[in-house]
Amino acid sequence: MPGRGKLIAVIGDEDTCTGFLLGGVGELNKNRKPNFLVVEKDTSITEIEETFKSFLARSDIGIILINQFIAEMIRHAIDAHMESIPAVLEIPSKEHPYDASKDSILRRAKGMFSAEDFR
Amino acid sequence: MRVDQQLRLDEQLLLFMDQLEALEEKRHKLNSLIEEGWFSIAKARYSMGNKQVSALQYASEMEPLVYVETSVLEGRTAEFKCERKENKTEELKSNTIEDIGAKETISGLRRRINTIQKGVREEDQETDPQVKTKAESSTPEHRDPLKWFGILVPQNLKQAQSAFKEVITLAAEIASLQSAIIATRKEMQAQTKEQQQKTEKTQPEMKNE
Repeated sequence: MPGRGKLIAVIGDEDTCTGFLLGGVGELNKNRKPNFLVVEKDTSITEIEETFKSFLARSDIGIILINQFIAEMIRHAIDAHMESIPAVLEIPSKEHPYDASKDSILRRAKGMFSAEDFR
Repeated sequence: MRVDQQLRLDEQLLLFMDQLEALEEKRHKLNSLIEEGWFSIAKARYSMGNKQVSALQYASEMEPLVYVETSVLEGRTAEFKCERKENKTEELKSNTIEDIGAKETISGLRRRINTIQKGVREEDQETDPQVKTKAESSTPEHRDPLKWFGILVPQNLKQAQSAFKEVITLAAEIASLQSAIIATRKEMQAQTKEQQQKTEKTQPEMKNE
């Protein structure tokens, strides 16, 4: 939409989605698809991947927040995303604390150094 | 020339390290705020009941209250800035108060002149502000996600809401930093490659000498 800011999408477990929706990021109406996905135990990886790709394809989403354990399930799709918008931010979940070594962005930044760079 | 390039590379490296440090700091704050938010939600769930704070309470229609302004700077760096809609709801509330105040003075004047007309007009004026307040209050109430969980919600849920609001603002800052880090990394890689190519060119010349 012209002249309007972009949305923040969330792919996370129930408490994560509840928290961010309380914060005011949620959009849900008959005309447009929701900008969040509550991932439960029975949610398939296909559904998560399709939702993630649909968020990437939307021009009105600026940031995608995703629990890191869910990001691990669709790591190939996240690593394939090279554009700066929308930005993908991995966040911890209640059962899986944040691990910087698994973060796509930090892995890309870490991979650049080798012994030859310091000659 | 080579010294200049190396100086530039050193500057880029220092910038990269500063950015990584800032990112780690913000990440740490983000993670602890999120955990604080979950804890508050759990406390609210404990006092309200398990099913009272869940996805079942989500409204069937939601309007976003926070947007992200994105801009692409030089070198493909993206910048993200959070913007909230809260101020507009506060303005609406203050306007309704003013309107009601003005109408009361008018009805006060009319009372002196005609009692019958006053009766009819007072009813109209009473319904009008009521209708207005309902229409205008329904939009802020409808908008505040806290209302999905009931009219009187425990303080813990409000604390969770404020924690996650802060998380959202921080998330935008982290997204900007991440984009800057990737851009710095790409530039450093390009400069290192350029330097390597130049050293490879000069080495054979030195061997020939």
